[in-house]
Amino acid sequence: MSKYLHDLWSSVSSSMIGMRITFKHFLRIRKGNVTLQYPEEKWPRPERNIGFEHKDYNVIRSKLHVDMDDCIGCYKCARACPVDCIKIETIKVPKGTDIGITSNDTKKRLLVNRFDIDMTECMYCNLCVYPCPEECIFMTGGPNSSKHPIDYEFSEYNREGLMYRFATATQEEIDRYTDTETPEKPTEKEETE
Amino acid sequence: MVVDNLMQWFESWTLWEAGSPLLFLIVVVIAGVPIFLLMAVNALVAVYAELKISAFMQDRVGPMGQGPGLHAGKWGLLQTVADALKLLLKEDIIPTLADRKLFIIAPFIIFVTPFIALAALPFNQNLLIADLNIGVFYILAVGSISVIGIIMAGWSSNNKWSLYGAMRSAAQIVSYEIPVALSIVSVIMLTGTLSMQGIISYQDGTTLGILPNWILFNNPFSFIAFFIFFISGVAEVNRTPFDIPEAESELVAGFHTEYSGMRWAFFFLSEYANMLIISGIAAVAFLGGWHSPIPGFLESPGWSLFWFISKIGMLIFIMMWFRWTFPRLRVDQLMNICWKVLLPLALLNIFGVGIWTLLTG
Ligand code: SF4
Ligand code: SF4
Repeated sequence: MSKYLHDLWSSVSSSMIGMRITFKHFLRIRKGNVTLQYPEEKWPRPERNIGFEHKDYNVIRSKLHVDMDDCIGCYKCARACPVDCIKIETIKVPKGTDIGITSNDTKKRLLVNRFDIDMTECMYCNLCVYPCPEECIFMTGGPNSSKHPIDYEFSEYNREGLMYRFATATQEEIDRYTDTETPEKPTEKEETE
Repeated sequence: MVVDNLMQWFESWTLWEAGSPLLFLIVVVIAGVPIFLLMAVNALVAVYAELKISAFMQDRVGPMGQGPGLHAGKWGLLQTVADALKLLLKEDIIPTLADRKLFIIAPFIIFVTPFIALAALPFNQNLLIADLNIGVFYILAVGSISVIGIIMAGWSSNNKWSLYGAMRSAAQIVSYEIPVALSIVSVIMLTGTLSMQGIISYQDGTTLGILPNWILFNNPFSFIAFFIFFISGVAEVNRTPFDIPEAESELVAGFHTEYSGMRWAFFFLSEYANMLIISGIAAVAFLGGWHSPIPGFLESPGWSLFWFISKIGMLIFIMMWFRWTFPRLRVDQLMNICWKVLLPLALLNIFGVGIWTLLTG
């Protein structure tokens, strides 16, 4: 009997203790909250110690970025890509037409009307970065952070958002040059094969 | 009340003779609509409250949605509306080897139970579908119909988990009905009436000078009876820590494992409506029903409704508080509590209340 009463008492009192704890948490939600409202708030990025200086290390694997002002449409990056996730289309502009020069003083001869990178396919191997004669395709951040700040998450609400479309040619430009010449040459690797 | 008034109103048209069954049918349908609305709104609000309360107790924030687009409104206020829409649009799957007829009927039986029980719950002086002279008895009696629905659901799903859940649920509800009924008996011994309004009017006025004359404060035995009732009530509606019929970690979802879409929503609606009913009975039988906590203060019908709903809300909050505090009981512990603790205590209470009424007259 005394064990029965003791058990009864201990279960009631321990239940009370438990309920007090949860109620305390219930009340202190403003202070104790651990949820991060992700798209609005972000964890602070920790200072990284990767064992060497950033400036001595020229490879970073983050998000690809193309500086379209410098791209000459040479397809070297698209050919290098092992998974063929870079899709480029160009239009030949007539001789003598000026569509700008790159920061390496190379005259542009091709209008890039499509430059898509499918980041759902990309495996971040960096192989497209090396062949670029104009050094205009690169991974953001790290040694390139002066060109483009790092974006380490690039999360999107839908899959289409991960198709990065870099081409800047306007429709008007495209129309102007498509009429004049036979514009298309077999562009993408998969089409040539 | 509502039914009687509607009957009189319709009869005053003299289109139907008094007491015609057709007229009765019409009145019942009209009176049923607000109950259905009440159940739906109750589920929407209670689910949202549960999401938030559970989150707060676990140091989370629950549904928030301040992001771009329509993400459940500010503070996730539209979360349950979105959930309801999703449930409505979901595919209705009936397993091939299920017993089709029973599978289809079961959710409705479970849904009908709180539906008809709500008809006898008085929300204020006038807001009561039918003032039965056996109100409490009626609610407790129809409450046990849901066992049939649960067993039907579990059996017809043709699934081990469902069947286990159904069997456990039947055992649990049948056992816990006894302490529920016995603690109500101790209330009825005091009030001398089974009518809900009668029990409430017994609790008018004050006791011990300042306390409201609720049965909870009437004598030490009915004080304990309240806790017996409430704990077994929580067990009867299959809420954690007594949720072994649907024990997520063991039985997937118990008797409603195989249900989806709207049929599943019926289980959900009735779970929350059952919470409402148990809290409602507790409020009526022990907490003075729609009486204001300060006797004689703000007792107009509008305020009475407010008091009653806040009492129910508080009790539902306590149920949620239980849920997010206690781990689930084992089957043997569950039976232990019922047969070895609650039942003897309830019997003792009846004895005590009997002595008390004898002594105090
Ligand atoms: S990083 Fe590799 S996979 Fe990604 S686009 Fe460049 S070459 Fe292709
Ligand atoms: S390799 Fe560089 S310049 Fe050539 S197409 Fe690619 S990004 Fe443009």
